[in-house]
Amino acid sequence: MGTSVQVTPLCGVFNENPLSYLVSIDGFNFLIDCGWNDHFDPSLLQPLSKVASTIDAVLLSHSDTMHLGALPYAVKQFGLNAPVFSTEPAHRMGLLTMYDQFLSRRQVSEFELFTLDDIDSAFQNVTRLTYSQNYHLSGKGEGIVIAPHMAGHLLGGTVWKITKDGEDVIYAVDYNRRKEKHLNGTVLESFVRPAVLITDAYNALNNQPPRQQREIFQDSISKTLKAGGNVLLPVDTAGRVLELILILEDYWAEHSLNYPIYFLTYVSSSTIDYVKSFLEWMGDSITKSFETSRDNAFLLKYVTLLINKSELDNAPDGPKVVLASMASLEAGFSHDIFVEWASEVKNLVLFTERGQYGTLARMLQADPPPKAVKVTMSRRVPLAGEELIAYEEEQNRLKKEETLKASLIKEEESKASHGPDNDLNDPMIIDTNNAHAPLDVVDPHGGGFRDIFIDGFVPPSISVAPMFPLYDTTSEWDDFGEVINPDDYVIKDEDMDQAAMNFGGNLDGKLDEGAASLMLDTKPSKVVSNELTVQVKCSLIYLDYEGRADGRSIKTILAHVAPLKLVLIHGSAEATEHLKQHCLKHVCPYVYTPQIEETIDVTSDLCAYKVQLSEKLMSNVLFKKLGDYEIAWVDAEVGKTENGMMSLLPISTQAPHHKSVLVGDLKMADFKPFLSSQGIQVEFAGGGALRCGEYVTIRKVGQAGQKGGGSGPQQIVIEGPLCDDYYKIRDYLYSQFYLQ
Amino acid sequence: MASMGGQPPSSLKRRDAPPVSKEGDQLIITPLGAGNEVGRSCVYMSYKGKTVLFDCGIHPAYSGMSALPYFDEIDPSIIDVLLITHFHLDHAASLPYFLEKTTFKGRVFMTHATKAIYKLILTDYVKVSKVSVEDMLFDEQDINRSMDKIEVLDFHQTVEVNGIKFWCYTAGHVLGAAMFMVDIAGVRVLYTGDYSREEDRHLRAAELPQFSPDICIIESTYGVQLHQPRHIREKRFTDVIHTTISQGGRVLIPAFALGRAQELLLILDEYWSNHPELHNIPIYYASPLAKKCMTVYQTYILSMNERIRNQFASSNPFKFKHISPLNSIEDFNDVGPSVVMASPGGLQSGLSRQLFERWCSDKKNACVIPGYVVVGTLAKTIISEPKEVTLMNGLIAPLNMQVHYISFSAHADYAQTSTFLKELMPPNIILVHGESHEMGRLKTKLTTELADCNTNIITPKNCQSVEMYFNSEKMAKTIGRLAEKTPEIGETVSGILVKKGFTYQIMAPDDLHIFSQLSAANITQRITIPYSGAFGVIKYRLEQIYESVESLTDEESGVATMRVDDRVTLKQDSEKHISMHWTSDPISDMVSDSVVALVLNISREMPKVIDESEAMKSEEESGRKAEKVIHALLVSLFGDVKLGENGKLVIRVDGNVAYLDKQSGDVESENEGLKERVRTAYRRIQSAVKPIPLIAA
Repeated sequence: MGTSVQVTPLCGVFNENPLSYLVSIDGFNFLIDCGWNDHFDPSLLQPLSKVASTIDAVLLSHSDTMHLGALPYAVKQFGLNAPVFSTEPAHRMGLLTMYDQFLSRRQVSEFELFTLDDIDSAFQNVTRLTYSQNYHLSGKGEGIVIAPHMAGHLLGGTVWKITKDGEDVIYAVDYNRRKEKHLNGTVLESFVRPAVLITDAYNALNNQPPRQQREIFQDSISKTLKAGGNVLLPVDTAGRVLELILILEDYWAEHSLNYPIYFLTYVSSSTIDYVKSFLEWMGDSITKSFETSRDNAFLLKYVTLLINKSELDNAPDGPKVVLASMASLEAGFSHDIFVEWASEVKNLVLFTERGQYGTLARMLQADPPPKAVKVTMSRRVPLAGEELIAYEEEQNRLKKEETLKASLIKEEESKASHGPDNDLNDPMIIDTNNAHAPLDVVDPHGGGFRDIFIDGFVPPSISVAPMFPLYDTTSEWDDFGEVINPDDYVIKDEDMDQAAMNFGGNLDGKLDEGAASLMLDTKPSKVVSNELTVQVKCSLIYLDYEGRADGRSIKTILAHVAPLKLVLIHGSAEATEHLKQHCLKHVCPYVYTPQIEETIDVTSDLCAYKVQLSEKLMSNVLFKKLGDYEIAWVDAEVGKTENGMMSLLPISTQAPHHKSVLVGDLKMADFKPFLSSQGIQVEFAGGGALRCGEYVTIRKVGQAGQKGGGSGPQQIVIEGPLCDDYYKIRDYLYSQFYLQ
Repeated sequence: MASMGGQPPSSLKRRDAPPVSKEGDQLIITPLGAGNEVGRSCVYMSYKGKTVLFDCGIHPAYSGMSALPYFDEIDPSIIDVLLITHFHLDHAASLPYFLEKTTFKGRVFMTHATKAIYKLILTDYVKVSKVSVEDMLFDEQDINRSMDKIEVLDFHQTVEVNGIKFWCYTAGHVLGAAMFMVDIAGVRVLYTGDYSREEDRHLRAAELPQFSPDICIIESTYGVQLHQPRHIREKRFTDVIHTTISQGGRVLIPAFALGRAQELLLILDEYWSNHPELHNIPIYYASPLAKKCMTVYQTYILSMNERIRNQFASSNPFKFKHISPLNSIEDFNDVGPSVVMASPGGLQSGLSRQLFERWCSDKKNACVIPGYVVVGTLAKTIISEPKEVTLMNGLIAPLNMQVHYISFSAHADYAQTSTFLKELMPPNIILVHGESHEMGRLKTKLTTELADCNTNIITPKNCQSVEMYFNSEKMAKTIGRLAEKTPEIGETVSGILVKKGFTYQIMAPDDLHIFSQLSAANITQRITIPYSGAFGVIKYRLEQIYESVESLTDEESGVATMRVDDRVTLKQDSEKHISMHWTSDPISDMVSDSVVALVLNISREMPKVIDESEAMKSEEESGRKAEKVIHALLVSLFGDVKLGENGKLVIRVDGNVAYLDKQSGDVESENEGLKERVRTAYRRIQSAVKPIPLIAA
């Protein structure tokens, strides 16, 4: 029997919720994607929490919140500690996306689901792979090979191929077939007949409008700017925005515009810095221009990178384009800017992707757009006046309690450990409980005296009053003098690693100073919110720049890939149902649409066994070449090799007669020019039939479109009266096939 | 030219006369360059009709055609894949020639960084090499054209071309340097190119491949030598510089523009950062090429090590803070101490030579030679610290400056090579890229060290082929309907064997479209024949030829039909026409042809009454005729054939006698060989003369 494969969706089926699926292959559990939405609703992760401990490996496919947003939370709260696999850019851009999410949340709320440290630790154990790298799992997953392949859509976007015993399970969501400015299209089409394909129905009902859209995009922007308005593009942190930046850069260069463009996220400068070093992951045109002229497309000429809002406020007045995160308008700079600009008729808010369900962006994309929206404006303000005093008192009280407790514990400890010998070897016991207490808070009204003294060390228990630590530097002597520790004199290989040490221990990624200061900012502050109603007077446009394959190309790709079994996930109920019906008819008879937490078994019902082809047999086999394949008919007798393998030997008796087989794939469209080149008049008659000469017709019958498991071989009918032409045409027809 | 490389044993071009039986399993490896020498790396490999070429370099010591590898030993048009390990001239510089001036039509692969630097380095090479136009191997146009043909791959990315699978590992050495692992039908060959197992400031150490290869083609530049530990070399380097400049001297570092120079710049930049007292001393690097390549170094950070990537998190380490570029000696304001890194590394000419001549007589100054230097260059001469040197204008000047040789060249030394091989345990090792005596010593030492693992170490000269045989087992996977039951020993398996690349699958014809992109087809033929006679006549005539002629009536239309031999269906469509349809296969086609002929005959001649006895007689007649034919055929085969007693035929061949029973086909003879021959011959004659047995039954 084949490899056992089970799929259990944890989130994101029959709706547009974030993606998260459990795929278990011969008992090895893969969590594929670990997404969250912009609302950060923990209830979505309920199914994940139940299985988190059983997961053996996590595969990430894209770098946005929808695909990896829940990773830090899951690692921290659910004890998800399996190794994580992703491509280098997906890892890096994912990290930056999460930083940006955290920082924009933190700015407006007491966001406590995860911290920057949680993000770092979650992303620390990510194994980074390159495209088409076959990574052999070991241990429990022995025999399983995983390989990321180019998906398009986002930088580093991945179609995962999991192979065991020659059977492929492919996970492909949010892929793009079209080649874009910075990315190539997906390679999904190069996989044929995988055992299982897991794919999304997200775009099944959307059809991309033709290319003129690009002009609408550019026209509307330049029109707004010329009329003196501002343009806001709510974007993601490090994904689709890269494509938009390149489009704008090109347009600006082409039309030599000088309106400023700002790219505003908490991590914009590091995003672009990293992107510059990811050229090998990008499309051909970018790599090529770099190879020939060393022009890095992301050395931006027109776009200014900003990491906080005040820089934007300080920018000179006048029309400008701002790309700001988040795309959902729920948080981040885009939210604030929208509130500021919405009431001005001249301004334009241009959406380039469909907003997540239930977000402000989605509301505004409705047709017709709402006249006014209610928003919550929140701001983090430093505490002042009475609040500050109250806060400080509270902090002091807490601190005092802690230190008291700590010193009591320490005293007991040191009594216990140092009681017998007075030799205090370790005078620098750091009082860990105190280490985090803010140092700038000093209470002048007493009580602090002891605190300050004790902060940083604990006095020996034998001393009567607090004193500075005193320690004898006793040295051991032997017959040759002072005992030397040879380690002290070794020239360490440290010089060069110093720099690395400085960075290694710290954050994995790099934060902009503004962001860092925000994170390190321990000044007491609070969040102030007020609800207000914004009159939406600015123009709103939604253009699809999502870079996903649209309904039509999804169907083409699926028909081409023609999996043996197909699992549909992530998409509205209608889209899922629509695609299911389509695939049942045209792709394959096994289409599954599981519900959340419903485990479906997509183990292939394939039977297979391995045999050795003996030298004797192979010397008699004559292969015929057919495209990439070579085929031959074999009649063989089963024997055994020395090591117990089954082997095929030449048959000893008369070979049984077998039904002859015609192998080949007749394409009417290709056959027609072939016939005309042979001097036969051909034309297409109705119903796909080919009319050859005066009387003979050739046509295909049966479901020609479906290649999947259910249909049999193709049926071709040739009809005509008895005449020379008939036999001639029949011969040409035969020449298209290989007879076994 | 071929004679230069010793005695080419057998030209690889003669592929049309291969050793008959085992040709498919023979693996041939031939160094076309870098066999017992350093320079013009190029190794040819072929197995199972697939051909791979590793590297395509030139020999730096020769010029023009003689610098090329021995390309005339091979037929470039049969090469499937050409793999370039790194951008150094001795590994990549004959590529434009090979791509543009030969019949090569395969595919070329290298890493991203290698491709980006390759163009710069070769354009520079074309500009600086001062040879006559006819000696030029290629020009800038050729390089630009070659860029379009080169494909890129990333480390670990598996690529498959024509059934050849390959991927590459980090090799250390220089940015983008790769070791290639090639897998043809399960036989793996590792080609290391130049590699270093020591991590340095910006490059990773060469990886240890996950799988052990069957053959390892490995460089042997440093033979049995051992390197000093890196930190000691670095310390010597920085100490020399620090001492010299603190005494007010100038330091010249002649180095090749790319590769190791970047490592030295990193060391210097970091040293300057850690020593603020040096900040007023300028460091220059004087190479326009290096300056151009800086963007490449600043971009392909991902190909470097963790250390540099961590630094990248704060700022790009290749944006040097203390080092400034220098375009020419005219722009150089030579006042007070300074450190200048200039190319070429051998002090042959150019900026490094100019500065050397300006500074060599002052004993405060120093010259640090940071890498492997070629015999015959000034750099090699001054290592032995002569008293005087000859200047470019022919004058003699005293050599007072200090000369230090501190090697930073990133090749594996003996310790690295032997550990690498011990961990990898390849059963066959082929040494290339090393002077022959170094290589010889390495071979001896490795042989003793790897004595207990039965390793085969070979050091072929240029054009000397290494031939090996691999008995690869061909495994096939039987799938689908055919595999529903695992067969017992002795049972037969029949199906279509589908080969793609080097994987085999056996399947039932009906499953073909499920497991491959191929599909089986059925062709139904329908032909209308004008016929106005009675349908029954056809039936009668057919019954005389075919055993099974079934009369039916079509269920829908009620038209009379009949089925001949269970293959071909005849239908009386109208008064004037009958139609016939069947599914194509050779036998049915034949049956249908005979039916057509028969029908046409009936329509031509009037139906005649046939006497049954006549028919019987004709049968007898034909039987007699057949016998005659059999006899005649046997005579033509065996010569002496006589009719013996009780109807047996007596066949005599060379004194052996065989008796053949014509009815049963039994043969009696004392000679087994003859018996077998007669029996086979008779069976074949029978099947030729007697009517086709009805298999469908």
